[in-house]
Amino acid sequence: MSADERDRLASEYVLGLLDAEEMRRCEERLARDAGLAVQVELWRARLAELDATAAPVTPDPALWPRIEAALGPVAPATPRRVARPSRLATWWQSLSLWRFYGLAASAALVLLAIGTAQLARQAAQAPVLVAVLLSDQNQPAAVVNAFRDGRTELLALSALKAPEGKSLQVWTLWDRERGPVSVGLLEAMRNVELSVEGLPRPAAAQLYEVTLEPAGGSPTGRPTGPILMKGNASPTETGI
Amino acid sequence: MTTLLPALEAAAEDDLAEALRSCARGDRAGLQLLYDRLAPKMTGVALRMLRRRDLADEVVHDTFLRIWEKADSFDAARGRPASWAFAILRNTALNALRGEGRMELVGDFEAIEPASEEADAETLVMALSEASALRRCLDRLEPARRRAILLAYMRGLTHGELAGRLGVPLGTAKAWIRRSLLTLRECMT
Repeated sequence: MSADERDRLASEYVLGLLDAEEMRRCEERLARDAGLAVQVELWRARLAELDATAAPVTPDPALWPRIEAALGPVAPATPRRVARPSRLATWWQSLSLWRFYGLAASAALVLLAIGTAQLARQAAQAPVLVAVLLSDQNQPAAVVNAFRDGRTELLALSALKAPEGKSLQVWTLWDRERGPVSVGLLEAMRNVELSVEGLPRPAAAQLYEVTLEPAGGSPTGRPTGPILMKGNASPTETGI
Repeated sequence: MTTLLPALEAAAEDDLAEALRSCARGDRAGLQLLYDRLAPKMTGVALRMLRRRDLADEVVHDTFLRIWEKADSFDAARGRPASWAFAILRNTALNALRGEGRMELVGDFEAIEPASEEADAETLVMALSEASALRRCLDRLEPARRRAILLAYMRGLTHGELAGRLGVPLGTAKAWIRRSLLTLRECMT
């Protein structure tokens, strides 16, 4: 499923357009697809205001006693899960500014972390590396997921567009000797597969960044314009 | 960033988060606090989707049982407690709409005048805060397409039901929705 298809599925799921079978399949997928979970959370945040417009209705006084009776006499059967530290948690803590992000962004980031951890069970489809690209305002602007087979995708979290006569160029850097290598050219931020054919498999701490370049890309083959967003890849629990 | 219930202060959100932690420990007082705070608005949302009071009550009933069962999976770092709870409510209501009870609902749906739905959708937009990004972005959509998005969310209509309601072929309805959602995403990101 491409990043755009994922966003579409997330939006249609949150809006409530899916039929019963599509809903079931989407929920199955949600449990193992971090990208989808991020998009669902973002869509929920975008549309939540609509629920706030509903006129409150006093519940039937008989309803609470019915709920309470249905709870049963004992505490819930599922014990509280104990969080265990992971490499991912370390990665998470390193994003010291995350607390200041808006709800959607922080929810997306945490979901990404949690979703990615869940993906460990589905190694084939799980990214092995995740980089959150932050803007100069320290806002999450994009996510890069790298998969075991080398496939690498960029998920846009901002709608940044290049001005007339400019392009957005995506770079990765894993070796200072070799320098940054272009892996994508966009007119506006969108979900896209990065062109990583022929490059070494991505490694931990590998840098991903987006710079503003002349239309058609940097004439020198190296970044020449300002860095719009950047982030380093961190291994997920799936492992490289 | 918008909040689900703008009147709630951060402290009230903390109360809800604490109430969810109480539920996870098996303390019913936590669930009762959540019910007292959220059930009226939830009943309103469920009624808007299901159009029948008895079904709306059933959905709210099932929602609180699910909140009780799933409270241990709530993580305050992942989002606000009210958003988390309303996601459960919406899913429960959608399952009720898509489930066995759906056939008997169809009659009720058809009885609603299209004109009243149109008015409902516009009222919904007006109910959003003037400062709301969602409102500004919805205003960019052509009225029929805006109505499609709002009806889908408010009523839980499927693509097929929307096509019927808008009087356009299914493919057209899907394309409208897809295009409108892209516009919304770009406008709100």
